[in-house]
Amino acid sequence: MRNLIDFIVRYSSWFVFVILVTISLVLLCEHNPWHHHLYLSSAGRIGTGVYELSSEINGYFGLKSINADLQRRNASLEAEVIRLRNEIDRYAEAVYADTMKLIEPLQPYDFIIAKVINNSISRPYNYITIDRGELDSIRPEMGVVDQNGVVGIVNLVSPHYARVISLLNPNFRLSCKVKGNDAFGSLVWDGKNHNEALLEELPRHTIYNVGDTIITSGYSAVFPEGIPVGIVKATERTIDDNFFTLRVSLLTDFSRLSNVRVISNKYIDEIKSIEDNSNENDE
Amino acid sequence: MSKTILFFASLFILLTIAQALVFNQICLFGVALPLVFIYFIIKMPMSWPTTVCLILAFLLGLSIDILSNTQGLNALCCTLLASCRRPILRLYFPREEEMSEPEPSSKSIGLAEYLKYSFTLTFLYCILFFVIESLTFFDFFRLIIKIIASTILSYLFILALDSLSRRKQ
Repeated sequence: MRNLIDFIVRYSSWFVFVILVTISLVLLCEHNPWHHHLYLSSAGRIGTGVYELSSEINGYFGLKSINADLQRRNASLEAEVIRLRNEIDRYAEAVYADTMKLIEPLQPYDFIIAKVINNSISRPYNYITIDRGELDSIRPEMGVVDQNGVVGIVNLVSPHYARVISLLNPNFRLSCKVKGNDAFGSLVWDGKNHNEALLEELPRHTIYNVGDTIITSGYSAVFPEGIPVGIVKATERTIDDNFFTLRVSLLTDFSRLSNVRVISNKYIDEIKSIEDNSNENDE
Repeated sequence: MSKTILFFASLFILLTIAQALVFNQICLFGVALPLVFIYFIIKMPMSWPTTVCLILAFLLGLSIDILSNTQGLNALCCTLLASCRRPILRLYFPREEEMSEPEPSSKSIGLAEYLKYSFTLTFLYCILFFVIESLTFFDFFRLIIKIIASTILSYLFILALDSLSRRKQ
């Protein structure tokens, strides 16, 4: 017994070394971001404390370009309002004419505005931290967009903060299509440039041109159909002859994220329960 | 003694926060990432027990991991680096008991030895960090560029930090 204790004391630093390396390897091997621990991520209490402080200061630096973006967006919205107003006037006349009721379109999507408090673009796996959480009714698997296009998908949620898997993360694949065309592919980041991503598995017969807009397909409940994602830049060479791969330049400027909108779908539980039921029936 | 502990405690906190808020945001040409927090591991006194050094290095890596969403990566690299510290110092300065003060510095082991010692540790850390990180997208050429560029940038920052703290003393 005494020998054992002596042995342990003498080689204690080796034991500590082995234990610490094992702990880090276990943490490192949990590769899937859905299994990460909340407290070991930037949405945990320690991470948010530090980043909240710095974002208070950093928020002022990007104001000019955000302002320009907003003004551009404002101008386009104003033009749209005028156009829609004209259209409503026209419809109102038509409705009056044959006394028909307009059916309100279903509006399943709500937006929650959030501020980005931490963001990375240079790592192989990038994440974003936002200052809204469970108490602001944010749940995992909600989509995140900004004024230009898709940003990512919510992953870990604490009471006041949430971590978002950025589009610049190869664990996140987004179902997209070329605007004006129903064939869809899957958009994934290739780890090289924060302005570009690849649209893979696009059927061979798809017709597209360089400069076409890529939009979300709406095949998941996370993003509505038609949110802009990027612009076709070039065709990539692929090994598989049945599919195209396109290089897409992203519309969202990830190096200058500030305010984002989280999309919450009122009917997501309904859609999920249907999908779960049908999966169970299949088995 | 308590002065040393106070100095290293504040160094730990300052380096962690500075790495998260300043150095992680710097990424020159998309390849050079300054990893400055390892200055703490370079400076830990040789008189401290190895166990304490290992645990402190692990905690440092873990706090950097928390702030930069790299679960376990820096904790592993820091622990490995702390275990290689003594052998590397012996490589350049074999007579450890002749050090005039327990912390490795240009004063205690000589300028040339200190520069070599800190460069070796920085280079080793960059190799460990980028090799483990790039196990997913393996691109050999890019990996080499990243290691070299980050070593140079981190080393410059560490030397700058070193000259600052020396002036203070």
